[in-house]
Amino acid sequence: MEHIVFGIGITALTGALATVAGAAEDTESNIGSQGDPNSQVQLAPQMGFLHRIFNKAVAGEPPAYGLWCALGAGLAWAFMAMQINAVLAIVLGCIIAVFVQGVYATTAYVGRTASLSKFGQPVYVDILKSMTTVTMAHAFIAIFCTVTLCYLINVALGHPFPLPLLGLIWGIALGAAGSATGNPYYGKERQYQNQKFGAGVPISASGNIVRYAEAGERNSIDNGWFTAKIGGSASGICFGLIVFLELWRTVLFEKVSAGWGAIIVGILMILIFTVIDRYIEVWARKNYGPYTVAKEADA
Amino acid sequence: MSVKVEVIEGGVPHQKIMIAGLVSTLVCLYLTYLNVLTNTEMFSFFGGLAVIAALIWGSHTIKVLCSYGIGTGVPSAGMIAFGSGVMAMLLATKFGVIAGIPAAPIVATILAAVIGFILGYVSNNILNMKIPAMVQALTEMSIVGALTLMGFSALITGGFTFAGLTTSKITVMGMTLLTHQNSFLGGCLIAVAFLLGAIAIQHPFNATLGPGWKQDRMLMLTAECGFLSMLAAAIMSFAFISIGSAVIALVIAVIGWLYTYQQYMVLSKRDAAAWLDSKPIPDVEGH
Amino acid sequence: MSAVAAKPQAGGAINPTAMGVGIVLLLILLALAWYISPGVGFMALIGIVIGGILIGFGTHFVPVGGAPAAMGQAPGIATGVAMLAAGAGLAGLFGGAWAAAAGQDLIVVVVSGGIGGGLMMAITCMMVNFVYVFGMGIPAASGKVAKDPITGDTQAEYKSQGTEGHGLPFVSFVGGVIGGILGGAGGTLIYVELLNLYQATLPAVMQITAAQVMPIAVSVAGMFAVGLFLVNAVLTAYNITGTIEGPHDPKFKRWPRSIVASAVASALCGLVAILIVVL
Repeated sequence: MEHIVFGIGITALTGALATVAGAAEDTESNIGSQGDPNSQVQLAPQMGFLHRIFNKAVAGEPPAYGLWCALGAGLAWAFMAMQINAVLAIVLGCIIAVFVQGVYATTAYVGRTASLSKFGQPVYVDILKSMTTVTMAHAFIAIFCTVTLCYLINVALGHPFPLPLLGLIWGIALGAAGSATGNPYYGKERQYQNQKFGAGVPISASGNIVRYAEAGERNSIDNGWFTAKIGGSASGICFGLIVFLELWRTVLFEKVSAGWGAIIVGILMILIFTVIDRYIEVWARKNYGPYTVAKEADA
Repeated sequence: MSVKVEVIEGGVPHQKIMIAGLVSTLVCLYLTYLNVLTNTEMFSFFGGLAVIAALIWGSHTIKVLCSYGIGTGVPSAGMIAFGSGVMAMLLATKFGVIAGIPAAPIVATILAAVIGFILGYVSNNILNMKIPAMVQALTEMSIVGALTLMGFSALITGGFTFAGLTTSKITVMGMTLLTHQNSFLGGCLIAVAFLLGAIAIQHPFNATLGPGWKQDRMLMLTAECGFLSMLAAAIMSFAFISIGSAVIALVIAVIGWLYTYQQYMVLSKRDAAAWLDSKPIPDVEGH
Repeated sequence: MSAVAAKPQAGGAINPTAMGVGIVLLLILLALAWYISPGVGFMALIGIVIGGILIGFGTHFVPVGGAPAAMGQAPGIATGVAMLAAGAGLAGLFGGAWAAAAGQDLIVVVVSGGIGGGLMMAITCMMVNFVYVFGMGIPAASGKVAKDPITGDTQAEYKSQGTEGHGLPFVSFVGGVIGGILGGAGGTLIYVELLNLYQATLPAVMQITAAQVMPIAVSVAGMFAVGLFLVNAVLTAYNITGTIEGPHDPKFKRWPRSIVASAVASALCGLVAILIVVL
């Protein structure tokens, strides 16, 4: 019984860490403009829309976060193998991982922008100076929380995978969850703020991103507060739910019916989320209504 | 919303880079074998140099492949390179030493070439991608993946034999014990090496992609990514090899990284349209 | 994503000669495994091939929209297909590995891994729709079908002007969950087969006890599972040329090519994994 209570406590803690990690990850990837929305930042100068947005073309978020978290976890593991205290090891490992992330971010911005020289897009050194540390700070939170939850899963909950492999797995999962949830919000709402709200961006408007803001030209630091409006929290909830529910169903129900208990609980959870998703979809159709009058039903 | 396709040409031809990369990687890997001959771990840093040589070759292969527009992003090429490379590398480490000669690097090359060739055939013909450079590119990338991982292993643990990667010594109360849990493979540090290499191989082309692509800038970025990865791996090597050897690798990595990073910035400044500090967006006609 | 325009692909055509060559190659590899290690090695290879096929086939179900989806121009999730599938499958592998460590039998472990992957995709897809509807005010609509095959909802009038659709219509959601289940199950199957193989054979090869070999067996099996996962996911990404709306997308009909491709790739890599303990 104690064992289960301890397990639930750790599960709750990892769920909280995962939520923070997800929120920080989405904020970081929006400040740095990483992943699929970044294609617009690259396209804009080619259509004549020069800008001052940070163009961090470092792979997509899943592989990139897979690397930062695996690197943080691997370094932490190495430090712990050198008999360094666990907390200090994790912090040191994440600091070095964040340093690597910052370097990759700067080389990506400079590289892509220099390759767009034909269209007259300048490299803004002040963007490098101001944006890099902000994106590194958010990345540190995401990486630290993920490595810590991996450590807890390995040491406190007894998962067989070693820390670096867990870092790889949860880093890629973090990137996938945060990217899936946060990308459309940044891509459509922030970059195309001048398009009509409540509809997708028409193909004819590609490249025409917003480049002027409340005070002067738009820069990427403000994407931080923008993401905090809903995108960051949604990503945080997404990753937090993934980690928490995965651990919860295993810790509580693994011993029930020789493992089938956890499976049945998992299926129930999937069905619950399916119902919620269907509800959201129907709610939108009913409340927002169609864009045009429905055509006569095809035969 | 398609972008004008520019033919990205120029610089040293790919064949030369491939041969130079393959030869220098193998040479550096064999130089790490000096560790065994001199019974030290001082020469582990050659593993890091092998990584850099392989990455330079591999990033150019990715450039050749992705210039055709494969429909998916550049990062997936890095993933498939290392996904196939890790298999070849792990099997090759079993061939540690044959008749007194370390065979692992050569075996890794041959195995990875076979795996990469079959994967290339599958992609081009079964999946109907029909890209002229596909088979050769995937073969090369598989070899690069395997050799990069072997270089990381040599850098971090001092050798590339299966026994060396699965055991390590810990000191408990003055006694030295052999342990498997704290080894390179037991702790799955190969996962870190995997991702370090996979991101480092695709980043240079991904980050310098565009009409203004220049080969020397991309290759300098590859060297910078390589030295950065070597830096991270050298820090991890402190857990496995003697402090002196790890410090040597770390110092070389730091100096190499500082130099290549600074050179990369110089080259980017050369190529950029403008290098501005706190200036507004320039006015463009009609926008 | 790349800024270089994708050159026109050969489309969904199936190349019979190549498929035949692929199947022959698969049989040769299976025969090699049977010759080298008739008992446990051959069974492991069969498991790995099935696992690889599950991953490759499952990735076809996952709705991925790529860069246009990030602007609300296309339905699907705005991430790369290989890495999204990898994320879901690895979350499944995580759960399956835990079940394996708890000593459950094979079916339970593989199904557990599948459910882990499916759960991750269910949560992610639900949150994607959540952000689209409540954060951006955009309902879900498909651009490839007039009516949702599962719910019968009409799609055309809910598609905003100038776009190919947006969000995750219900059939895409279901596709995503199925993709997660298959991917997670496949990855876990590969992991468990290799783990059992290494646990059985490594102690003799390395001259150590079974308890000492556990961390190595787990790590090497885990690394192989991750590597095979990525190879199969990228091959599927090549097959669908980057984006797919889900099982209702016409591109989904290309799945036979992927089965053969994944089988050959998994058999090859699996054989290499088995040779580590046999040679």
